[in-house]
Amino acid sequence: MNTDTEGTLAAPRKPGARIRTLRRVSQWSVFLLFVFLFLNTEYKDNDVLPYAVNLFLRLDPLMAGAASLAGRALITLVWPALVLALLTVFFGRFFCGWVCPLGAVIDAADATVFRKTPRGGAVPASWRRYKFLILFFLAVSSLFTLQWVFLFDPISILIRTFTVSVYPAMNLVLHQVFDGLYRMPGPIPRISEPVYGFLKSHFLAFEQPVFRTSAFVGLLFLGILAAERYQRRFWCRNLCPLGGLLGLMGRFGLFRRRITAEGCTRCGLCESNCRMGATGNDVAVTDHGACIECMDCQAVCPEEVIHFSGTEGRRPAAVDLTRRGVLASVALGAVTVPFFRVEAHGKAQDPLLIRPPGALPEGEFLGRCTRCGECMRVCIANGLQPTWFEAGIEGMWSPVLVPRIGYCEYNCTLCGQVCPTGAIRRLPLQEKRKVKLGLAYVDRSRCLPWKGESDCIVCEEHCPTGSKAIVLKEEKTLTQGGEWKTFKKPYIEDALCVGCGICETKCPLTDRAAVLVTSRGETRSTGVLAR
Amino acid sequence: MTIRIDRRTFLKGAAAGSLAAAGWPLLGRLGVPCGSFDASASDGGSPVLAVAVAGNPDAMVRGAVGALGGMSRFVRRGDVVVVKPNIGWDRTPEQAANTNPEVVRTVVRMCLEAGAKKVRVVDRPCNDPRRCYKQSGIKDAVESIGNPAAVIEHADPRMFIEKEIRNGKTLQRWTFYKDVLEADRTINVPIAKHHNASRLTMSLKNIMGILGGNRGNIHHDLDRNIVELNTVMRFDLIVLDAVRILTANGPQGGRLQDVRVADTIVAGTDPVAVDSYGATLFGITGKDVPHVLYASQQGLGEIDLKKVRILKV
Repeated sequence: MNTDTEGTLAAPRKPGARIRTLRRVSQWSVFLLFVFLFLNTEYKDNDVLPYAVNLFLRLDPLMAGAASLAGRALITLVWPALVLALLTVFFGRFFCGWVCPLGAVIDAADATVFRKTPRGGAVPASWRRYKFLILFFLAVSSLFTLQWVFLFDPISILIRTFTVSVYPAMNLVLHQVFDGLYRMPGPIPRISEPVYGFLKSHFLAFEQPVFRTSAFVGLLFLGILAAERYQRRFWCRNLCPLGGLLGLMGRFGLFRRRITAEGCTRCGLCESNCRMGATGNDVAVTDHGACIECMDCQAVCPEEVIHFSGTEGRRPAAVDLTRRGVLASVALGAVTVPFFRVEAHGKAQDPLLIRPPGALPEGEFLGRCTRCGECMRVCIANGLQPTWFEAGIEGMWSPVLVPRIGYCEYNCTLCGQVCPTGAIRRLPLQEKRKVKLGLAYVDRSRCLPWKGESDCIVCEEHCPTGSKAIVLKEEKTLTQGGEWKTFKKPYIEDALCVGCGICETKCPLTDRAAVLVTSRGETRSTGVLAR
Repeated sequence: MTIRIDRRTFLKGAAAGSLAAAGWPLLGRLGVPCGSFDASASDGGSPVLAVAVAGNPDAMVRGAVGALGGMSRFVRRGDVVVVKPNIGWDRTPEQAANTNPEVVRTVVRMCLEAGAKKVRVVDRPCNDPRRCYKQSGIKDAVESIGNPAAVIEHADPRMFIEKEIRNGKTLQRWTFYKDVLEADRTINVPIAKHHNASRLTMSLKNIMGILGGNRGNIHHDLDRNIVELNTVMRFDLIVLDAVRILTANGPQGGRLQDVRVADTIVAGTDPVAVDSYGATLFGITGKDVPHVLYASQQGLGEIDLKKVRILKV
């Protein structure tokens, strides 16, 4: 029985209710901060972003640990994660109830969509151990350099989903609505256009972003929210490995739930109101690894015997784990790694796997990359896209430049600025301009001047290197009509080409471009053009 | 002798061919009126150019436009004016790939001084528009005027409307930016620079920035297309920026050794005459630039500078 919800019980007369309000304020202010940083992960006339827009990822000890382990490096960028870890040791798993923006979204879904859904014991209590098993699996595989945390890390999930799915979709809908109003007769556009103008300058994307995997990412996210149908905070209770990690760290924290034994009538209100199922059959016993210190129980307790404070009542419930389960997940974490490493792309890398400028060599890159999508969000030409399987299953959702969608802007260094783990190095502009992402080549059987159809020069014109990496040479060509005519044919200067892909983006051929970029000669590997 | 033709009237008139019927002089083969559109800047039928050399950009612009009779000859009180610089590339003013920001600022200021109700600065760049507006210095220049009547805007993709290109050989229709077509007055503020396909790009080529669609396709028969597109609309005033000119690797440039300081501003209403004069800054003539030559053959203006009255400032 769990029809009680936060709102109906919120008569704020007790001190417990006040602190619950405080928790809600914290949760939603942090979420607003999250949205603010998300919206500012964008070029706004500053070559250097003025805020640490990647703060949330750098705060995440799970990601920090996994990236450091798998990337075999002490990543100094993620120092805020250390702060959160320390706070958790003292204050317990407060992050999930007070800070986590995914938790806030889940709570919002709960309070709106599933407000009246009766949810019994459909989900076995034993499922909560999965988050630990996932955590152990991820930790061990990271130790063996396979970093799969991105699949389960809540911050990575949330930013990726916002970047790839939610924001582009919202943007599309709003544009279409205002487009419709704009075309309406009478005074309607005069009212709607100023609103649209305001939204455009503060909220909407400069150009409609598009991303591969967007529908898939969106559906996964909906799945997380839909699980609320069966249990409150289903994700956080059962699956979230960050929650598991923080729970383990905070088990012996100083600040924790305790009940004054005298006075408790065992009415069970605290249990039925606990979003995490953190009380056992005996309501006086708290699973401190599960309790996220949301303080709802304190607010609803009619006897006012529940307190959150230090010292007393240190009776942590045992972590619900079986030895067999732990061994299995640890073993699986180790054993699966070689299976990923014998995928054929390790020998013959996809030639279209063009990594962002400043990306580390592939192994270290995948070890560190959090798949958060910050680089894709900030990419000014929308060129950075999530991979499906071009880098293997291991590399899913890692950034790849797809020049036909968008190119790498020559004077832009934003992706390196937002990467939370340094998988993409932060390079000064002068250095970034020298980085080769790959190399362009001309498909001479399709290029208009090469096949004697017409002059064109679009690729040469857009080539951004001061001394052009695409040069035009006037040469005679046999046209399809059988005449010899002179055309300006593009040639690539390999030494000057940086592989930014603007030639491929702008090539006027409608389907496949006649000038294409592959990762050949990319600086991060060898820089050598032949093997 | 000042004959003023309202922009909208002109467009209607052109569409109906009424100008041809009226026996407008030197009517081009494409059915477009040539010579001076605004008679105030012509001298008994022959076009007039004002050329300012030396001095700072602000003074040169003021000098050149002043020699044509001042901005009030082109902009009336209460007009909505569109100023169209070249903001094509993510380059700095020193690299001379975009119109000089001071030139743009002075033109906008002069419009305001002439009583314009609204001055819109707009272009459709090749690189990311935000970067181009910022790096070119033009955004800051316009905003530094601090007058809410002067705005710099990004092109709104909804606002490109299709226009027929009468007698167009390869292009029969193309989309143009609505604000430009509907403005009371339009001022073209191109930069003079090298272009690898059209040899040079100046006022005629600058029309590309108000076009919608996939502009890459225009390059397949670029010289002809530039001219045909220029038959759809004609700017009321041209202020050619040749403060710094890009002499190689155009239109985007990037190397400072390709930039030459020419300290020149050319103002006029005849795009062919302006571009023909601009070509001389590069040591060639208008006839050496195929689209300028073709434009003159199609009657868009006077390429022979001997037939142009040049007012040196």
